[in-house]
Amino acid sequence: MTDPSGARRRPDHLTPVPSPRPEPNAGRAEADAGRAEADGLLRAVALGDEAAFGRLYDLVAARVYGLVRRVLRDPAQAEEVAQEVLVEVWRTATRFDPARGSATSWICTIAHRRAVDRVRAEQASAERQVRVATSPAETPHDEVPDQAARRLEQQQVRRCLGDLTELQREAITLAYYAGHTYREVAELLGAALPTVKTRMRDGLIRLRDCLGVLGVEVTR
Amino acid sequence: MSDIHTLVGAYVLDAVDDLERAAFDRHLADCPSCATEVGELLETAARLADGAWSVPPPRLRAEVLAQVSRTRQERPAPRPGRDGRSTVSRWRTVTAAAVAAAVLTVAAGVTSYLVQQQRVRDERAATVAARAELDRMQEILDEPDLVVRRGGLSFGGRLTVLTSPARDAGVALLAGAPPVPPDRAYQLWLMAGTTPRPAGVLTAGAGDDSAVLAGLSGMSAVAVTVEPASGSAQPTTDVLASVPLT
Ligand SMILES: [Zn+2]
Repeated sequence: MTDPSGARRRPDHLTPVPSPRPEPNAGRAEADAGRAEADGLLRAVALGDEAAFGRLYDLVAARVYGLVRRVLRDPAQAEEVAQEVLVEVWRTATRFDPARGSATSWICTIAHRRAVDRVRAEQASAERQVRVATSPAETPHDEVPDQAARRLEQQQVRRCLGDLTELQREAITLAYYAGHTYREVAELLGAALPTVKTRMRDGLIRLRDCLGVLGVEVTR
Repeated sequence: MSDIHTLVGAYVLDAVDDLERAAFDRHLADCPSCATEVGELLETAARLADGAWSVPPPRLRAEVLAQVSRTRQERPAPRPGRDGRSTVSRWRTVTAAAVAAAVLTVAAGVTSYLVQQQRVRDERAATVAARAELDRMQEILDEPDLVVRRGGLSFGGRLTVLTSPARDAGVALLAGAPPVPPDRAYQLWLMAGTTPRPAGVLTAGAGDDSAVLAGLSGMSAVAVTVEPASGSAQPTTDVLASVPLT
């Protein structure tokens, strides 16, 4: 079996292209190039290019699997859901619209939705169990490819989460990493429903500003 | 304006239930500022996945690629062209169907959807009467003998009727019906054979609303028509949907 980690993730001919903008460091440039690469690959996938899908897999599979596993906790279920997600990316690639966001974000949105769907389905059948969210810093290090870009991105997210108020941070992480509804979050935190909704929103806005997310391009 | 905008954060984090999601999706079609914000915040939320990176077992790659090679891709959807209207109305119908389907499967979610709808009616939600009606709905929806029936409206939308024989009462939920002019409203009727009895006028202009139904014994169906916003004693227009109760 081929090694899906570092060695295969970035084919030689797709090494980061030097950016015309001044770059504070190489990690940032690599992260940006990774995103641009995913955009291009997903557009090729939409045209039925299976080879491009293989390269896209190498670029995003660890992100998809990691996210799904974080939400579901169970590696076997996570593998199953990650497979569904990645096949859905192939099947629905024609829906991706680069004017509305990045490929990475589009894929993560699908992955998160499917993971949460699975949590809810479980909750509907079994008795509800309280999940405890952990900070995003806890991914075991041996599972993280030792790569400057990855580490930088993680540090940036961690730092920006650290800039939120405690309630904002808890509301967002309990929802995103543990798959709780805002009602469950309110219950867990002993906070009022409108407060939790508001903190989720203003917390995300603060994160957006901290991360410098470009978001939707208004000009088409 | 309604309260539903504040759901943006929870929606982006997938922290809403199916019915709220359907309601918010519908809202997004009409609210460009929420649509822009959702785009930005989805991009932001996706960055949270940066912290969850974990290499999958190698077999996953082979399995995914094998499945991909035998999976047909969706055709590209036609971009909304000069006739954006038809796209929107078809989309509304689909959403209404999703709401009704969700009503059937997520009994607990019904309550929260109704709560949400009630909030959407802003000032009304603050009134004692509206609160009492909401409490009443929740009592009915909590009954273990709850029966769910639904019917399609002749020009889009669904009428879902949830009844509790033990309480001799029910809840009617109109979802995804086309909005009517502000001086008109959807009105509900309880039918005893062919004889209609007024069973509640919904919010003027609204295509999504709910109402408590009382005194169901001997009634054969719940019907809906469009009437003046003040309500009518007898239906003055065609019946758009009729959901049998037996
Ligand atoms: Zn809005």
